Amino acid sequence: MKRGLLGLLIAALALLPPLGKPYVLHVVIVVLINVVYAQALYVIMRMGYLSFGHAGYIALGGYTSALLATKLAITPWIGFLAGGIVAGVFAWALGAVTLKLRGIYFSLSVFAFAEVVNAAFRAFEVFGGPAGIAGVPRPALLGTRLNTHLQFYYVVLAVALVSLFFLYRLQWTRFGFTLLALRTRETERLAESLGINAARYKTLAFVVSCFFCGLMGAVHVHYLRFVSPFVFTFFLSNDLMIYVMVGGLGSYWGPMLGAVLLTGLGEQLFAAGYYKSLVYAVVLLVVILALPGGLISLPRILRRGGARERVLPVAADVAAARER
Amino acid sequence: MDVYLHLIAQGLAIGLLTGVLYVLIALGLTLIYGILHIVNFAHGEIYMLGAMGVFYCYVVFKLPFAATLVVILLLSLLLGLGVERAFFRSLRGQWLQLVVASVGLSLIIQSLGWIAFGIQEKNVPSFFTGVVAFGGVRLPTERLIAAAVGVVLVALLYALVYRTKVGLAMRAIEEDEETARMLGIDADRVAALACAVGFALAALAGAFVAPIYSLNPGMGLEAILMSFLIIIVGGLGSITGTVLAGLLVGVLQSVGGVLLGAEAAYGLVFIVMIVVLVVRPAGLLGKA
Repeated sequence: MKRGLLGLLIAALALLPPLGKPYVLHVVIVVLINVVYAQALYVIMRMGYLSFGHAGYIALGGYTSALLATKLAITPWIGFLAGGIVAGVFAWALGAVTLKLRGIYFSLSVFAFAEVVNAAFRAFEVFGGPAGIAGVPRPALLGTRLNTHLQFYYVVLAVALVSLFFLYRLQWTRFGFTLLALRTRETERLAESLGINAARYKTLAFVVSCFFCGLMGAVHVHYLRFVSPFVFTFFLSNDLMIYVMVGGLGSYWGPMLGAVLLTGLGEQLFAAGYYKSLVYAVVLLVVILALPGGLISLPRILRRGGARERVLPVAADVAAARER
Repeated sequence: MDVYLHLIAQGLAIGLLTGVLYVLIALGLTLIYGILHIVNFAHGEIYMLGAMGVFYCYVVFKLPFAATLVVILLLSLLLGLGVERAFFRSLRGQWLQLVVASVGLSLIIQSLGWIAFGIQEKNVPSFFTGVVAFGGVRLPTERLIAAAVGVVLVALLYALVYRTKVGLAMRAIEEDEETARMLGIDADRVAALACAVGFALAALAGAFVAPIYSLNPGMGLEAILMSFLIIIVGGLGSITGTVLAGLLVGVLQSVGGVLLGAEAAYGLVFIVMIVVLVVRPAGLLGKA
């Protein structure tokens, strides 16, 4: 049943777009991009870590690919991958230093890192300074540049589906379960007593999370054909965190739900400027205070004791303080 | 060469004066962290509100300077109590939810700020004019007074934490909350007090920088970034560490800014943070 629905959804995503208007297509592209960001962030939030700076890694991926394409004329297909790898390498460097410490050190240093990355992009002429890099080319396939919304939509869809499938499978591997075991201080100690190198697992999880952010960041920049220090800011990092929390930490589908609903809503509020962050923040606070499991927990609350779902046992207790 | 030395001396002095104001913001964060074990993301917004408060009370409504400070102090204390009661208390012990809630709060205050105050930068005329010269180093009276007020507030905070019964309760909760509660300490009230005092420190810091910078609702972000770097370098929860790190970061940013440019100075401060994390992970004076 579930599998059928999923198949139907993917088929719809693959077949319906030629019928859609460009604007609708644009919204779907933005939603897909945000879903991958949110799902990538979920990898580390699932192990009880919070990042205020994922936009920094998205920007690293985007800038890498944009620079490769504009300065060295390297095809974006390689640029996408390079973007992911560069983001991953930077994530490894910071994670190796900070993930041994308590969660809050990590959260704060990632935030600081993202701001420094942003400052660097603004400061140096190589990166285009405050004006950024314009004229980032779309990739070409079989001799045609994918310049229309529809053509590029399929690039985004392909990258998104591959990323989401990988991130989904990852949860049910030994690696994925180990990450879940690291989510509180007590269980982390327990895992370490069983010979698990917690710091290495956490660092690797952070690298995976940032790799997919960098990858999608590169795709994002080639979609916009432009990047500047003002595209991927602190507000994006915040939005991603809000998607995950509003959707719910308890299941893989939570962050996705949050990203789809809020991105859709955000697109409607786009013209309203600051009202978008206001609405997001209010939704966030209401959900945190009134519905700790996020929107995804709503059906289960409504029909308590209903059919069992394959849900990870995280929900409320992810919260159990890493601190103490 | 002489010119450089002079520039560095000037940068050093300005850095120390700025550092004192950073210390004020960061101390509030440290205080709240000690009790609630979260970093309050909305802290930068309180600083912004303090500065905006000066603009509206002192410039628009033409209140006397002292009255302006009193209004800001009272409002920020109330806001601290209210935020603790409305958000932090019901999320006690849920680290992730608490931090994310503070992020949400920060977003709400900031976007309301943009909507209410507009995007036009605001300027506040100097409270005090004139320049004081020490040898070749010339410092605006304005900054000297702001720094002096900062030093007094830091001293008051020390007195509160180390010389009063409430301070003892704060330190007890930080040491071991369960035991503290068993001994009859009302942890919720102490947390509310810590929030109120922390908010007041941030708002006052904002009030004193108001004439120094152009004001806009986004100004909290830079302040909170610096404060985060400071509490990491100083050691989370350590008051003396925060003071030292605040002065250090102020000097680094100012001297670095003179020699390398503002953006590079950010990078410099960040590198110092990374070095501290590698060499002394708990911060300069933090407990491991």
